[in-house]
Amino acid sequence: MRHLSLLTALAALVAAPALAQDDWPSEPITFVVPYSPGGGFDEYARAVAPEMERILGTEVVIENIPGAGGQRGASTVYRADPDGYTIGIWNVPGLTVPQLMGQSSGYDLTDVTWIGNLATSRYALAVQPDSGYESLEDLCSMGEPFKHSDTGPASTSSVTARIAMSLIDCPIQNITGYKGSTDTIIGLMRGEVDATIKPIASLYNYAESGDVKMLMTLEDERSLPDVPTSTELGYEDFANFTLRRIVGGPPGIPAEIQQRLSDALIEAANSEAVQEWSESSNRPLDPVGYEEASAEMTELMDFYTQYKDVLAE
Amino acid sequence: MGFDALLDALLTVATGGSAIYVLLGVMLGLCFGVIPGLGGTTALALLIPVTFTMESLDAMYLAGGVMGATSFGGSLTAILLNTPGTAPNAATTFDGYPLAKQGKAGLAIGAAATASASGGVLGLLTLLLVIPIARDLVLAFGPAEFFLLTILGLAAIAVSARGKLLRGLIAGGVGLMLAFVGSDTVSGELRFTLGSDYLWDGIPLVPVLTGMFALSQMIELGLKGGSVAAAIEEGQTRIAGIRDGVVSVFRHWTVLVRGSAIGTLIGAIPGLGGTVASFIAYTSTVQSSRDPESFGKGNIVGVIAPEAANNAKDGGSLVPTVAFGIPGSAETALFLGILVLHGIDPGPSILLDNQREVYGLIVALTLSAIGASILGLILARWLVLITFINVHVLVPVVVTVSLTGVFVLEGRMGDVILAMVMGIVGYLMLRFDYPRLTLVIALVLGETAERSFHQTQMISDYDMLGFMAARPQSLILIALIVLTLLLPGLRRLPVFRRKAA
Repeated sequence: MRHLSLLTALAALVAAPALAQDDWPSEPITFVVPYSPGGGFDEYARAVAPEMERILGTEVVIENIPGAGGQRGASTVYRADPDGYTIGIWNVPGLTVPQLMGQSSGYDLTDVTWIGNLATSRYALAVQPDSGYESLEDLCSMGEPFKHSDTGPASTSSVTARIAMSLIDCPIQNITGYKGSTDTIIGLMRGEVDATIKPIASLYNYAESGDVKMLMTLEDERSLPDVPTSTELGYEDFANFTLRRIVGGPPGIPAEIQQRLSDALIEAANSEAVQEWSESSNRPLDPVGYEEASAEMTELMDFYTQYKDVLAE
Repeated sequence: MGFDALLDALLTVATGGSAIYVLLGVMLGLCFGVIPGLGGTTALALLIPVTFTMESLDAMYLAGGVMGATSFGGSLTAILLNTPGTAPNAATTFDGYPLAKQGKAGLAIGAAATASASGGVLGLLTLLLVIPIARDLVLAFGPAEFFLLTILGLAAIAVSARGKLLRGLIAGGVGLMLAFVGSDTVSGELRFTLGSDYLWDGIPLVPVLTGMFALSQMIELGLKGGSVAAAIEEGQTRIAGIRDGVVSVFRHWTVLVRGSAIGTLIGAIPGLGGTVASFIAYTSTVQSSRDPESFGKGNIVGVIAPEAANNAKDGGSLVPTVAFGIPGSAETALFLGILVLHGIDPGPSILLDNQREVYGLIVALTLSAIGASILGLILARWLVLITFINVHVLVPVVVTVSLTGVFVLEGRMGDVILAMVMGIVGYLMLRFDYPRLTLVIALVLGETAERSFHQTQMISDYDMLGFMAARPQSLILIALIVLTLLLPGLRRLPVFRRKAA
């Protein structure tokens, strides 16, 4: 198997560049989603795929390759031929952290050919409305670690909560094992934990219905008029924690194809149909092209590398 | 407020062309249900991209049609070939197949169809009734109760292995050990993965089920030769008893109601699902029967209970969905995925904002449960002929189709290999008389048991018993567990004996 893919990769290296760049795209493009259908990453990919199809004039086929927390799909994209016919949507820092901890297999985020970032989700800190907690200080000065609900220790929000709280020496007990981010919010509502840090988009509906209360958002400028940001409250570094839905392909995609894919992705994200979907489904979009996305990825890798020891706990 | 939407959804189906989507869903659901290795989840996963261009309500009709029909479709294979078409039908094989071997497949199918339809309707009626209190219900059940429910399931396993307790315990123990493979859901630690990333997410259920039930049964049939209903003489091939089967469900209406109640409750608990629901329905029926010895030999009640539970669980799995927009099962997770694809953001106000879709799905599920059963009854006459096909023709077809189904779900060759290995293991268990379903149920329960045990410990600051003692809902479940374990012993007491006689 491995020899075979090596052979095809070699063959592609020799033959592909000259041919591919002129009449690219002449084949369908495979757009890998490293999770099962129906999740957030899947939805983003399926929203932009039809528009990319229209813009590029070739089929864009979504392929779900779930498994190993997104790593199976990631390594499939990573190992594909860099001919621009295989791209994927990546979870950052969901895939960054396992790589830093040496627990990843088959991909290296530092040499992925980035195409563009579709969305940068921001986090918020939420508590039960009648819990009496009015600020993060209240949670930190309980006399015992505050309980925080999460899916698994390597999940993006778990990483965010642990690093952020270690920055301000706030004791936290992370209760993991919840089945999804909604489940962690329900856990908060059942009173099993004191607080939870989750993407604003996930918490928003539950705050609207009065089931939870957001104490702060982890960002620089307010996205919700009534909720203060971490930067306003003096927690400087908290705005660095984000969840990115970023599109990239295997290392070595020719620059010209990278540019065209990036342009198509941005145009698709800005198209009327996708904007409409984003609006009504409460899935925010803030597309940036490949240059900015690549720079941000380098920065993020450095940022998380600083906290390797916190993550290793 | 809800009834307007319900009426609206009913009218749309009755007048518009939308009924065609329900019908399409039913046909698809039946096919995916009948074929071992394929199930409702696969069908919906494959359908998601197709629904992208459809109107959201039509997508609901299609999804509802599929969800409502797969479980009955699976019972056909369970009865006719001793091979559950979908995992939850496994309990149906216990008495359904013996009936088929006695040439009474018609009776079993008639009962399964009626129990499925009635169970489905009862489950959805319960759902409609509990909608006003759905939020409180979901919030009342936390990790402590999930843990106790898995223990209840394991207790049911222990007592179900009448006469072969040791074998049952061994199979259950192996199942629990298999459940520990993969990354620890709480700590994220990798365990027993043998250095292969295939095992990171644990041992996948569908290949195990397909191997354990479908492939092992095909090995058994292939070695035996002949045909399934071999014992029946030529003249007796006329299919009778379908009507008796239908009637039997109403004669045993307590079994139907209990099965449906169990199905609805277990269905509402994320992570447990239909396999556990139908199994517990089956064991509780055996336990409360006056004649437990007659089960496993073709007691029609043993078909009714699991099939009612299996369809009722769809209504139950929608309880968390209508309360908070969260899934109660893999199928409802995909249903919510379809909503998001249509630009609808499911959340705690799903019932206010998306009444049309929710009630559309409920209507479609109801129609589908009934429609699939009617279709099944009409086709039963011909379906039964499967049991007369020479196994040397039947076996290669079933093996090919089910292995293809296993591959299609995730596109992993590892799944196919795992299914084949489990096929051999399953055959050996069959030969040496170890209960296969016990292993499978333990595998299903193990993950939730472990996860919720750790969570309860952390939440309660490592005072689990004190924590549970303060929760009435936990105490009720503890009482049920004790009752389950003691009941077989109690029944032997003279007081009860006399009453039974």
